[in-house]
Amino acid sequence: MIGINNRTGMAQDPLLQTYDVIVVGSGATGGWAAKQCAEAGLKVALLEAGRAVSPKEFTEHMPAYKLKYRDHSPEIVRTRPVQKQCYACMEYNYEWFVNDLENPYSTPPGKPFTWQRLRILGGRSLVWGRQSYRMSDNDFKAASRDEYGDDWPISYAELSPYYDIVEKYVGISGAAEGNEMLPDGQFLPPMKMSCGEIQLRERVKAKFGHTVTIGRTAILTQNHNGRLQCHYCGPCERGCSTFSYFSSPFTTVKDAIASGNCTLITNAVVSHVDMSAEPNKARGVTYVDRLTRQVKEVRGKSVILCAQALESTRILLNSSTREYPNGLANSSGALGHYLMDHVVGAGASGRLPNLNPLPNANEPARPNGIYIPRFRNTPSSKKHSQFIRGYGYQGGAEAGFNFNVEGYGTTLKRAVKEGEYSISLGAFGESLARWDNYIEIDKDLKDAWGIPALHINMSHGDNEAALMQDAGASAAEMLEAAGAKDIRMQANVEMPGMAIHELGTARMGNDPKKSVLNAFNQAHDVKNLFVMDGASFVSSACQNPTLSMMAVTVRACDHMIERFRKNEI
Amino acid sequence: MKRREMLRASVLAGAAAALRPALANAQSAAQGAAQPSELTPAQSGVDASKEFEGPGWKPLFLDEHQNETLIILSDLIIPATDTPGAKEALVNRYIDLVLAAETRETQQAFLNSLGYLDSESIKRFKAAFRYLSRDDQDLLLHALAYPRFGSSWTGDTSAVADPGHGHFEALKGRIMMSYYSSQIGEKELGWDGAFAHGPYQGCEHPEGDHK
Repeated sequence: MIGINNRTGMAQDPLLQTYDVIVVGSGATGGWAAKQCAEAGLKVALLEAGRAVSPKEFTEHMPAYKLKYRDHSPEIVRTRPVQKQCYACMEYNYEWFVNDLENPYSTPPGKPFTWQRLRILGGRSLVWGRQSYRMSDNDFKAASRDEYGDDWPISYAELSPYYDIVEKYVGISGAAEGNEMLPDGQFLPPMKMSCGEIQLRERVKAKFGHTVTIGRTAILTQNHNGRLQCHYCGPCERGCSTFSYFSSPFTTVKDAIASGNCTLITNAVVSHVDMSAEPNKARGVTYVDRLTRQVKEVRGKSVILCAQALESTRILLNSSTREYPNGLANSSGALGHYLMDHVVGAGASGRLPNLNPLPNANEPARPNGIYIPRFRNTPSSKKHSQFIRGYGYQGGAEAGFNFNVEGYGTTLKRAVKEGEYSISLGAFGESLARWDNYIEIDKDLKDAWGIPALHINMSHGDNEAALMQDAGASAAEMLEAAGAKDIRMQANVEMPGMAIHELGTARMGNDPKKSVLNAFNQAHDVKNLFVMDGASFVSSACQNPTLSMMAVTVRACDHMIERFRKNEI
Repeated sequence: MKRREMLRASVLAGAAAALRPALANAQSAAQGAAQPSELTPAQSGVDASKEFEGPGWKPLFLDEHQNETLIILSDLIIPATDTPGAKEALVNRYIDLVLAAETRETQQAFLNSLGYLDSESIKRFKAAFRYLSRDDQDLLLHALAYPRFGSSWTGDTSAVADPGHGHFEALKGRIMMSYYSSQIGEKELGWDGAFAHGPYQGCEHPEGDHK
């Protein structure tokens, strides 16, 4: 089943022992799983497909003129043709992103999907957008409200204490708004808004009743848990020498290791879960050493997959057995299905002529924007005739240099510095869970380690297109109300994957016939196997999902640790 | 050197004891076949800003005529004023470096735009652009920069009928990108060279001022 030929030549790792827990993946959720289990006294092996990371490789304070190609490196074009579709993959840090030549996947003709991945300690938590929003029962129980899809097997009340734990540890700056769609949390002081953002906030509230708030972000606005507050240099995705934004290597993973109960194994490209001779019991995982290509096995009493939604499911699909010929823990047949990624491509931009446009190159760079929570199909709004669910916006307003000036010569030089006060909004819409959006193993394609690669089959549907139509028009209306001129509206549907919010493919549910995991992220079929990442999501909501993934993980770990105490694992 | 890079890449501050497997892997890799560095040049601390400043510089992609034409054009588009212009910022050298790594299509598109300048110049003044007087160069550029139909004011160059304007904007775009991303360009925008100026103060007007 697995494209590894030298199974007989399996090398014995000198560190081999039977761990209580094997955690696969060291990103936002893997870090939490390792921390919670190790601090509870369980012996943890934390496996990461990439190398370790050092603060010495952070480049957030390097000006672009020191880059040979000033961010137009041909090396990115050659080795990261997919990864470069993400703004965060730059000449500064492209080695953090996977080499696309070594990590292929396929898509059907005419149905592209962009898959952004990091294989390095911390994974995408090194470069994530950091926006952190709670989901509410309007999301968890959406199916009961509009009869589309399925409810989550957990409620907001059950998850809320875990949001608290995660927020208090991570440090989320934000403002409480009392919004019915966006529950407030444990916030550090909010970042400040610009004049243009306050103008938008005031006028949009007056005209439409919608809330415009400062982005809730995993960036410290005061010293917190041994990490320093943000110094507003700007480009977080190149690393942070003061660890002011949350990334797992310098927080959760560090804690896990400090507990003395966690062994970190880097360069471990996990190919599949190994099953015990006993029925429905996992024995550990097999990995290929990224550098030596040696195949090794780690044994554990339980396995937690936190490899990223598609990677975790890929591991399960590559772990077929006689009993589970279509992927491990897949008696439901749902494994690989219900893939989601927020729909993006709609919004509006313009300029605010009443505000001082004079830009200042020495202005602190706020690595955050504004957020407008969902206002369609809410308990207090009318049901929309064109679509179900809704969208939220991220955006911002500020004075900037005007590089679009006409002409040339001394007038051009002056006009660039005279600047322009611009404002923009971009929507993130809910991606409906659909059976037709799925991943499977591509029988003809393997990665550089001989592990069968994915075939990703996803497209956005009519509901997503209708969301974007409305989101574009609403954004333009709000900018107009804010006094913007030269408004440009967009209502496109970008290719799936562009939001980098992949969710689903091993969803939770109370019914083992329709879902892969139970309400505690435990496989219905294999009780010592867990998936604790975005793969478990039942619906996507429209909020950035990482905070919810972390809260779901901490909750699931609590349950698992309890079962260990009772000797049930 | 390779081995040291690998080891450095593997060390996570404060967790060295737990990193034995990672270090072992790094060492075995370094002892095996040569591994390409897993850091970008920037992550390794390479400062490439002085790379094309030397007196022995030669273009990688442009020929001498193209290079000289580009220098003159860039100096017209972003001239030296009380601050240095595009010529001092060596924008031609950066553009040449980037073009040398570009696809054939992109390279050809650039040469077409530069060639258009010469063909218009020969049509109107019977000489290539670089040999015209400064006044004639300005006359020619003015016609391309401010075409009679359409406007680049909205940034919508597709609405502009004049092909010369499209060529002009393409060349200007590269020159502007090259200039404003240079150290001279950063200074032109007023940057003081410090990387942090925090904390962010935001709007400081009294409440209700933006109603």
